[in-house]
Amino acid sequence: MKLATIAVILAVTACVERAAGDNLSVFASANADYSAGHFAEAISGYEQLVQSGKWSANLFYDLGNAYDRAGDFGRATLNYERALALDPKHPETQANLRLARDHGRALEIQRSAFERYFPIGTSSQFAIVSSAGFWIAVFAGVALFFARRRTALALVICAAGVIVAAVAGFAAYAIENGTRGRALAVVTAKNVQARLATADNSGTILALPPGSEVKILSTRGDWVYAALPNDLRGWIPASAAELVRM
Amino acid sequence: MSRLRFHPNTWLAAAGALVIAMAICAAKAEAAASAPSVTAVLENAETFVGEPVQLQIKVNGSRSANAPEIAIPGLDVHYDGPQEESRYSVGPNGITSSSAVTHNYTIVAAKTGSYKIPSQSIDVSGTSLKTPELILNVRDSGGRGTRAGPTGRGSDPVNPNNVGFAELVVAKPTAYVGEMIPVQVRVAIDANVQVENSSISATIELPGQGFTAQKMPRPSEARQTIRGQTYNVLTYRTAIAAARTGKLEIGPVEFPFVALMPPTNRNRTLRRDPFGLSDPFDNFFNNPALSMSVPRQVKVQSEPVTLEVKPLPPKAPAGFSGAVGNFTLTTAAKPKTVPVGDPITVTAQLTGRGNFDRVTAPEFDDEKGWHKYPPSADFKQDDDVGISGVKTFETVVSPNERKEKLPASVFSYFDPVKEQYVTLRSEQIAIRVDGNSAPASAPAPSTPGAAPAQPTPTATPAAKDADILHQLTDLPAMTQSFKPMFARPVFWLAQLIPLLGVIAFVGWRIRRARLNDREALQVTAWQEETSELERKLRREETPPNEYVTAATRAVQLRAALAKKVDPNAVDAVVAASALGLDELKREQLRRLFARVDEIRYSGGANGSGTLLPQERREVLELVEGLRS
Repeated sequence: MKLATIAVILAVTACVERAAGDNLSVFASANADYSAGHFAEAISGYEQLVQSGKWSANLFYDLGNAYDRAGDFGRATLNYERALALDPKHPETQANLRLARDHGRALEIQRSAFERYFPIGTSSQFAIVSSAGFWIAVFAGVALFFARRRTALALVICAAGVIVAAVAGFAAYAIENGTRGRALAVVTAKNVQARLATADNSGTILALPPGSEVKILSTRGDWVYAALPNDLRGWIPASAAELVRM
Repeated sequence: MSRLRFHPNTWLAAAGALVIAMAICAAKAEAAASAPSVTAVLENAETFVGEPVQLQIKVNGSRSANAPEIAIPGLDVHYDGPQEESRYSVGPNGITSSSAVTHNYTIVAAKTGSYKIPSQSIDVSGTSLKTPELILNVRDSGGRGTRAGPTGRGSDPVNPNNVGFAELVVAKPTAYVGEMIPVQVRVAIDANVQVENSSISATIELPGQGFTAQKMPRPSEARQTIRGQTYNVLTYRTAIAAARTGKLEIGPVEFPFVALMPPTNRNRTLRRDPFGLSDPFDNFFNNPALSMSVPRQVKVQSEPVTLEVKPLPPKAPAGFSGAVGNFTLTTAAKPKTVPVGDPITVTAQLTGRGNFDRVTAPEFDDEKGWHKYPPSADFKQDDDVGISGVKTFETVVSPNERKEKLPASVFSYFDPVKEQYVTLRSEQIAIRVDGNSAPASAPAPSTPGAAPAQPTPTATPAAKDADILHQLTDLPAMTQSFKPMFARPVFWLAQLIPLLGVIAFVGWRIRRARLNDREALQVTAWQEETSELERKLRREETPPNEYVTAATRAVQLRAALAKKVDPNAVDAVVAASALGLDELKREQLRRLFARVDEIRYSGGANGSGTLLPQERREVLELVEGLRS
């Protein structure tokens, strides 16, 4: 019985290691294609890794570079944005994203006041801070409840914990639902026009070059209603933009 | 706390400031008003003999322009009066105002022919503006049986079955696919009939298939005399565009409304007055003008009209988008001196009459060396139904190399009057583009859409000539997720740790409280036992052995209360230490405990068996002395 268990464990471990080895070889092959100037092949390799779910900021960064070299600034911007969604401090991605936007003449959504003045953390970081503040407040509250004599220090800790939890929770919510949140999408198609209605012949609101940011608000059939740069809103074809978060 | 009080003068000052502010705003608004302009529009370019046609001369930017006197041989031109309008709007540039006056004329032709309405000169604030020249084609009215006309009758009494008529007027019997055909629905209601206003529809549906109709504005109302009968005439205007070839039947148009009819005088005619003594009020109550009206649902209906639709000729020019009508093209560019890569906004204006929904932006005849962005469009109509006006396209282009001229703009349309395709080509605008080649990155284009906002530029000068950074060759072993932390199960599982901590903390505090309660109970029990023992020691009849044992127990309890220890574990040394006794009392205590040990281990017979009163008193004093 013990031998069988050990054999199963070893087999699973071997499969995992083999899969990891396959991923690394695909990644190395895509890098080699990129270095040789075979950008289409490199894109294919990187996309294969993306499809396998082996996501990392470096992978999306490299994929963005390959699209940029291939002249597809919309998808280059999209993958740079995905890399930053995984690692907001990724320096190479930040630099290349600026260049891809410049090359594609992409438009950016104006950040909200909260995002402009509190760019100090991600929604995950704020969620952790909120959780910590909440539990500190709970511990302090329990201590106050059982204490024979309620001290000012315990009261201050409890109140501070509540405030920290509330502010950080709001920050996490605002970031998650803000312009950089889960609804952020990037225009990948060319000649995209935001329109007043869900029809190709309706009036245009704004021309969206590839790589432009939009925030998807709702979906109706093959169209999405989106917040656009310059505080505008309009309908764009659903196939013209892709969500940053997968 | 003192209350704020405002002197009446304060309110007066505030009101004065408000008035001054409004005056300043009004002055700014007046200053922001656009330059005056004038347009002239014929309701229909074609009409029939005896058929009235409306001519509107609209002066934008002024409300005081005088109406020109128009006299044309062969045409009866009647001035109907002015119509003034003012608009104020608050925008990013503050308050802007626009004022206009529209002079309305009714033109009736006495005979067929093509009449030229010459350009009219209008003086606006010292500036002389000229209207465009218009052509009115007048045809013979024979064969136009579209009117369900009135039958001749007297003015009174009103026949409820014949209170008016409807007329559907289609400007042309033949048209091309996509051509805009003005259509009028005229509803004439006997002037003697009162109509319930709420029953009058703001629009009328044009029954039929194979055509699209423009949005219908509110009808105009006029009083006209037709065949000797006075009518209130409602005129609904729209324009249709045929979507297929062949014969299209339009209408009949129905117009239901509620007429307030005078009551019938049947009763009066039936009741005879044999004595000739008629009621003096009878005439009063039977006067149609003074009696109560009776609402009655009435419907008038026009005859249908057939429209022959011809297909557009083949061999349409390249870039033809389906525009049918008559247009003129003007272009402008700004700025005219730019470095390579910087944007130039090219404004193309297509003015005229036709199906503007099919009018697309003019194309450049040569786009080589230019980067062109999708254009924006803005249509400003000159009439109520939107078949004449100005459509303005703004296209942003950026030169990739040195240029001296902008490429010509080309626009093609089909002219139904000339019955041929027409291609408009603008002049090449001279510009100056400095620099040698396109930079790696250019500023973001200005892409003005229907909204006035400008796109956010994303280019940075530092980005020019920059290349993207190198590939990263290390692939982290750990897979990352796009899910935010609070959406992952591990986050909520981690919350179990502090939750368990809180539960443990609460449990510990509760247990501690219970232990404290148990100790308190124990102390109370010891105190009660001590009191009982002391009472026993005061009694004379207590046997000696029992007396000594009780005294010792009392000492142990005193020591246990002082040190929170088990009283059974207290001996003479512990008690003396716990109670802080002096040497004399320690000795007494030691003897007391020795006596008890002697009783406990040797039995009562080994002791003296008696306890002298002196000894009892000493023991009692010792025990009572411990209380303090």
